[in-house]
Amino acid sequence: MNNLLLLIALPLITAFLLPILDRVSTMLARLAGPVVLFITSAIGFWLWMQLGGQTVAIQLGGFLPPLGITFYVDQLSLLFAVAINVGTLLLWPDDGEDRLRRSILSLILAASGSGLALSGDLFNIYVFYELVAVVSYGLVASKSIPGAYAATIRYLIISAFGAVLVLTGIALVYQATGTLNLAQLAQLAPDKLNNLQGLAAFVLMLIGFGVKAELFPVNTWVPEVYATAPTRVSGLLAGVVSKLALIVIVRLLVLVFHQPEAQTVMLVLGILGVVTGELAAWRARDFNRMLAYSSIGQLGIMFIAFAIPGQAGVFAGLAVALHHLIVKPALFLLAERWGGSLEKLAGAARTSPLGAALFIVLALSLIGVPPFPGFWAKLLVLVHLGEQAQSLYYLGGLVILAGAALEANYLFRVASSFYYPDNKQELPPAHRRRDITIASVLTAGLVASVFVLSPLAERLDGIATQASDVPRYIQTVNPAALPEAQP
Amino acid sequence: MDTSLVMYIAAGGLLLIGSAGIVMSSHLVRIIFGIALLEAGANLLLLLASFREGATAPIIVDGHVPAIMADPVPQALVLTAIVIGVGILALALSLAIRVQRAYGTLDMREIRDRMAQEIADTASIDRPISSHAPLPVDVTSVPSPSEGKG
Repeated sequence: MNNLLLLIALPLITAFLLPILDRVSTMLARLAGPVVLFITSAIGFWLWMQLGGQTVAIQLGGFLPPLGITFYVDQLSLLFAVAINVGTLLLWPDDGEDRLRRSILSLILAASGSGLALSGDLFNIYVFYELVAVVSYGLVASKSIPGAYAATIRYLIISAFGAVLVLTGIALVYQATGTLNLAQLAQLAPDKLNNLQGLAAFVLMLIGFGVKAELFPVNTWVPEVYATAPTRVSGLLAGVVSKLALIVIVRLLVLVFHQPEAQTVMLVLGILGVVTGELAAWRARDFNRMLAYSSIGQLGIMFIAFAIPGQAGVFAGLAVALHHLIVKPALFLLAERWGGSLEKLAGAARTSPLGAALFIVLALSLIGVPPFPGFWAKLLVLVHLGEQAQSLYYLGGLVILAGAALEANYLFRVASSFYYPDNKQELPPAHRRRDITIASVLTAGLVASVFVLSPLAERLDGIATQASDVPRYIQTVNPAALPEAQP
Repeated sequence: MDTSLVMYIAAGGLLLIGSAGIVMSSHLVRIIFGIALLEAGANLLLLLASFREGATAPIIVDGHVPAIMADPVPQALVLTAIVIGVGILALALSLAIRVQRAYGTLDMREIRDRMAQEIADTASIDRPISSHAPLPVDVTSVPSPSEGKG
């Protein structure tokens, strides 16, 4: 199980060795990144096989829980650690002038993303979160155009503000409990954090981590960054990194913060996210920003889903999150050549028929048209929303349905314009083979999952059950669960 | 007044001043200084989370155990947070230099407008919103990109 640490150590070491490797042999440096990410992905898969249904805690240096640094491995954390590695591999920066620097940053992103998913300690989560943030600034600005710098600095200001909120939340938690180990917090929370201070800490951390998860009031950076960053970086941020931040929030909600108010806050912000995101996407006039706003809307659906109490919420939210994890990077790969005004896309099916077909499949799934996986994910959310007693949950369901109608409107509008019979303007360029190949692979995976829907759902159900099993988390990290915790 | 209360007020004040700096100022460097103040406030708050009056460092010398020991964990955490904060500050200032060189201004409103214009130009769109969307208002009467979303 200690191989797990390779997921973090290997990309980090390679990242720092890359400049030296590049001096020795450019070819070697070019290959090193993808090879390392392939290895870490393989290690992740292998660990997944080994793990089965178990949960394992790794104490770094052999220091036991209250003192040491803990990594908690269950199916949920491993799934997202693999996702960030595979995602970075698929969206590996293509050859540009800044190839070396972008390779280094991508490797650090993979390492810190794995750390974020696996960490079982609040402060470690903060450190990995900051690492992810700093690396993403570098990646966003890597296009070296003035607009990218401006977008990055605006993103940095919001993100730094969020990080301070997280830190303040951590201070409140530590003040109340005297520990930052998630297992110990889970043990102490019913006594010490089930009050106004705990709620304040949760809201601070929700908004703080929400910056990366495109939560409603702190997502103004999203359209700017996705419009100016390299499209592969946008795909990575929208597809994978946002989910990592989301998973951190879900872990905190499940383990530590049990107040119903916490869920209400998440629900309300999620609803606002869907409303604003989908409406803005409907009005958007360029491809990148349409995708950016639609991802705000999708993340809003996830927040609504995770606000459903208990295992059902984790299950439904996870389904939407994994669906979006596959769809959005594929759409951003199509944006590589289709970026810019939507009106210029008229007749695009003639130069890129496969691209148009992929877009239609992805759009249908995103809207939630049966039999695509997006339909089942949204259905799951709606069913569980309907089971709740509070009327606010019904509002959430209604908003998701209205959002789907809007999505259908703006996505079909684009899709139909691909097939405009005659137009005088020049056609958009065809897709490069590497972009279209990866997008095809992702779409094929999406379509294939339709045929294994019920085993897949069972698997997800298992992951969600495991993730929402608080006693198990405590037991795994600290087998001799302390009868009374020290402050 | 006891020390910790004064310190809590100081931490709250720093957080308040920092937030005000970010929200109310439009000068990029002032916003960055606002972030620095915010970080200082959060760090102080974290340090205060385990503050004990008259505590000494938790070091046992010759078997002599100090009566009140300070909790070393938040101090280690704050040290990490300070290092991260300095790094981000440096990155923010270097980005500010790049932005200033590109746009010749540090006024955030102007930077935002220039950026919105640049995004619209690269996408070759002249109006901020779609003409296909059936809007109740007359789309041609929308005056500038800054009025629309984003």
